[in-house]
Amino acid sequence: MDRAQPSPPVEKRVDGAVSNPELEREIKQLGGELHGSFPSALRHPVRAVDARAMEMASSDRELRAALFRFVDVVPACRSLDDVARHLTDFLDEVPEAPPPLEAAMRIAHTKAGRAALGAAAARGVRHIAHRFIVGETPRAALSVLSQLWNRGIASSVDLLGEATVTAAEADRYAHRCAAALAELAAAVRGWPERPMLERDATGTLPRANLSVKVSALTPLLRADAPALGKQDAARRLRPLLVGAREQRAHIHIDMESLDSREAVLDLVLELLSEPEFAEGPSAGVVLQAYLRDSPQQLEQILAWTRAHTRTPPLQVRLVKGAYWDHELVQARQQGWPAPVFEVKAECDRNFETLTRRLLEARPAVRVAVASHNLRSVSHAIAYNRLLGAPDTELELQVLRGLGDELQDALAQHGFRVRTYCPVGDLVAGMAYLVRRLLENTSNEAFISEQARNTPLETLLAAP
Amino acid sequence: MTVLNRSPSTPARLAPFSNEPVLELRRAAVRARLEDALTALDRGLPLEVPVMVGDDARAGAGSRFDSTDPGDPERVVARAAQAHEGEVAAAVATAGEGFRRWSRKSAGDRALALTRAAGWMRDHRLELAALEVRECAKPWPEADADVCEAIDFLEYYARGAVALEAGRELIQVPGERNELRYAPRGVTAVVSPWNFPLAIPCGMAAASLATGNAVVLKPAEQSPACALRLVEALRAGGVPAETISLLPGTGEVGAALVKDPGVHTIAFTGSMQVGLEIVRAAAEPHRGQHHLKRVVAELGGKNCVLVDADADLDEAVPEIVSSAFVYAGQKCSAAARVLVHEAILEPLLERLAGAVRVLVVGQAADLETVVPPVIERAAKERVDRYRELAGRTGRLVAAAEPVPEGGWFCPPTLATDLPPDSPVLAEEIFGPLLTVEPIGDIEEGCEIIERLPYALTGGLFARDPATVRFVSSRTPVGNLYVNRGTTGAKVGRQPFGGNKLSGTGSKAGGPDYLLQFVEPRAVTENTMRHGIVVH
Ligand SMILES: Cc1cc2nc3c(=O)[nH]c(=O)nc-3n(C[C@H](O)[C@H](O)[C@H](O)COP(=O)(O)OP(=O)(O)OC[C@H]3O[C@@H](n4cnc5c(N)ncnc54)[C@H](O)[C@@H]3O)c2cc1C
Repeated sequence: MDRAQPSPPVEKRVDGAVSNPELEREIKQLGGELHGSFPSALRHPVRAVDARAMEMASSDRELRAALFRFVDVVPACRSLDDVARHLTDFLDEVPEAPPPLEAAMRIAHTKAGRAALGAAAARGVRHIAHRFIVGETPRAALSVLSQLWNRGIASSVDLLGEATVTAAEADRYAHRCAAALAELAAAVRGWPERPMLERDATGTLPRANLSVKVSALTPLLRADAPALGKQDAARRLRPLLVGAREQRAHIHIDMESLDSREAVLDLVLELLSEPEFAEGPSAGVVLQAYLRDSPQQLEQILAWTRAHTRTPPLQVRLVKGAYWDHELVQARQQGWPAPVFEVKAECDRNFETLTRRLLEARPAVRVAVASHNLRSVSHAIAYNRLLGAPDTELELQVLRGLGDELQDALAQHGFRVRTYCPVGDLVAGMAYLVRRLLENTSNEAFISEQARNTPLETLLAAP
Repeated sequence: MTVLNRSPSTPARLAPFSNEPVLELRRAAVRARLEDALTALDRGLPLEVPVMVGDDARAGAGSRFDSTDPGDPERVVARAAQAHEGEVAAAVATAGEGFRRWSRKSAGDRALALTRAAGWMRDHRLELAALEVRECAKPWPEADADVCEAIDFLEYYARGAVALEAGRELIQVPGERNELRYAPRGVTAVVSPWNFPLAIPCGMAAASLATGNAVVLKPAEQSPACALRLVEALRAGGVPAETISLLPGTGEVGAALVKDPGVHTIAFTGSMQVGLEIVRAAAEPHRGQHHLKRVVAELGGKNCVLVDADADLDEAVPEIVSSAFVYAGQKCSAAARVLVHEAILEPLLERLAGAVRVLVVGQAADLETVVPPVIERAAKERVDRYRELAGRTGRLVAAAEPVPEGGWFCPPTLATDLPPDSPVLAEEIFGPLLTVEPIGDIEEGCEIIERLPYALTGGLFARDPATVRFVSSRTPVGNLYVNRGTTGAKVGRQPFGGNKLSGTGSKAGGPDYLLQFVEPRAVTENTMRHGIVVH
């Protein structure tokens, strides 16, 4: 692939956005190429069915709510009869259920009908879940992970679990993480070499990669007393960092809702400042571009990297953010100013600004751009090239089930792509699953736009 | 229909009501301001709380009493004068005078004074919260929420009274004009508790004042300084001194006050026992008393949370724990009994136990604290008694122990396996003790709730919409909370108050509340003269 020369800094538009014709040209070009390698729905019959179900769900708000509440409760149902009863009770609340669902309601009038309906519905939920969740245990997930690797795709494993409300649950999660690290580290040794996935200018990139949630590491995470949860989680995160260093694995600390941000970021940066961790493990944090104060957060992180040169450098995963509705609803209920952007384009613009800032801050940080938005991703690649950096110096990340097509296209074009792979059973995975379903069917999401056959030009336009 | 605005000088239209936002304590910069506020408060302790009868603020002719920090009983927060009988009578007489002038003002003018009082509280917000931290051991988030609720009551009732002044639509036919208007009742005796030391007295006083009544306030003896600040706020806002008097003191002051024939309305929030005494006392008309006293009472609760088999325990466990243990369970809305579907008894009990063990017991001033000390020695002894009984006749599953020394700390405790007739399951404990019982199904749970004398709040964790409908039509509680905690009612959003022996069914912070403080008057005028309709 040819590469653009370093170019003069981009210019600010009046609205704060940036315009640079060269960058835009490159984005259009790249986006077009990537898009060109997306499979058509025809070649994916199962996807096509899913897509139709998703479309049905996104077109009717009430139906969408009913179906998601149903999916959410399935693991808590005690029998197929119970499953069917919940389904019909939820659908009862939808003023105009579409004909296929009316039919479902009718068969639920008999016990046998309910058993059949319950079985079908439970199967349906499991089917959807498998699209987003790679396996029940890390061991079960290994075959999927190695298949991905063979196709030139790296992964990060996320252990799904129930919320942590007790110390025992926090210990159990920490234990599962440690076990998963060991299992992954052992398994990846047998994988074939994939230079694009294993090396950048600053050094090696671990094959084994685990994403960890601080809220699962302590029952004491509290928004108004961040130090408490931070100290408690540190006890359990420290051994994981030691384990990761010894086994040459990467640990990535996910970011959750704003209520826990201070605790999470302080925890990670404080632990990584300890001399013990100056030379490993490879570790990373998440920056959420939907937060209005994310630019200040980034500066805080960059200031830290200047004060603590460590090898390997801290990886920053840039995302838009998974808790948008939660943040907005909470702020409305409390009467606080919204911490997130409320206009999608502002969020997307901020994402691009942060992308540039991050790419320019290398080599003090490693950059991972995590998005399913072809525009956001193309922008990152294009800007990286504009800076004259090789493609190896940028990592792209997607979520399993949400970014499969983009993942394949990126791998095919020789980019380093990492897929976030949740592992766990259905009960534990439900919160995750429902969030992904909501994301998949939300009107403003790029992937829904794409599914609606919005013209490529519009999809790739500057936000 | 003519608008019954007696004064044309109604102030500029009030903006629509919205709840006062609580502090965003998740922001470090906001948290940083709290310590300064507390230091500033501590420098001025102890505060002097006088008897305030109209303009006259006296140190009290007789005895005095102290309020102390429940987390450090050596620390005196306020030295208060104990009002004596003569002062009670004088306060009611002064209020009678005040009533004459105050009731003649338009609702708009009165609203102006109340919203200015709200502004004063906003300006003194951290100082007020700090005082609650010290005087009542309210942890910061709770103290702050209490100040916000007080502000909300002022703003909400001010607007409500303006709307009420316009009267209600009646049927009109040719030749007659019908009007329904609401007049204030007279003097309100406000007798308030310490657990929401600003919000509850403020709500009862604000509703009275907004509708044109005068108020004599008898606050709990545990929180006289908070009450003093309330009176200061109201007066700073422009409520005349003769319209709001303060009588600090113990129970006998309240008893004398409610018996006074010059009192028309008694607004009380507190225990069922005292509430029933007040109802009895109010029923007895004195010689020369030409009115029936009305009692507005908010009494106790024994609040149950139903957990169905399909509940999401990830959500239910933290919500139940905070409903039961935040502020050491000292809220009338606090959860006391969990009634859980037997299919999930074991996992729920295990997770609740684990969540109770990690509760942070500590000083109210410490942001990490969830469970502060209880209010006083007698409260601690009461809670300890119930806890001992629960251990002896049932099983203590978990507790957060040991607790700090010095203050009135009680270990938050989870108990189960109690006999069905145990007092632990029937009586209001008002402390950090939560019990768990299995039920065969939700209907059985509803029957248990129905048999209780109380009907204040209730909780339900269930995901089937049919179950939610069933429980909401079936339970008599004043406030049912579905898939969330049972505390933290917001003005204008969750009108709050109980039924049965939990209260008179008045709903604080709701659209009907003001009606308790007014008497309706209908005026019908014949507008026909010599066969001609003149209006
Ligand atoms: C590998 C990976 C790891 C991730 N880890 C995390 C993590 O740790 N923490 C986390 O919070 N998120 C994380 N995410 C991000 C999150 O889960 C979503 O996938 C992401 O926000 C979707 O954005 P997009 O760019 O793919 O799609 P787009 O469709 O371009 O953007 C959708 C996003 O825009 C935002 N949005 C939606 N509506 C509006 C609006 N009206 N105004 C402003 N903004 C709006 C929301 O954030 C929404 O998710 C991760 C994503 C990936 C791929």
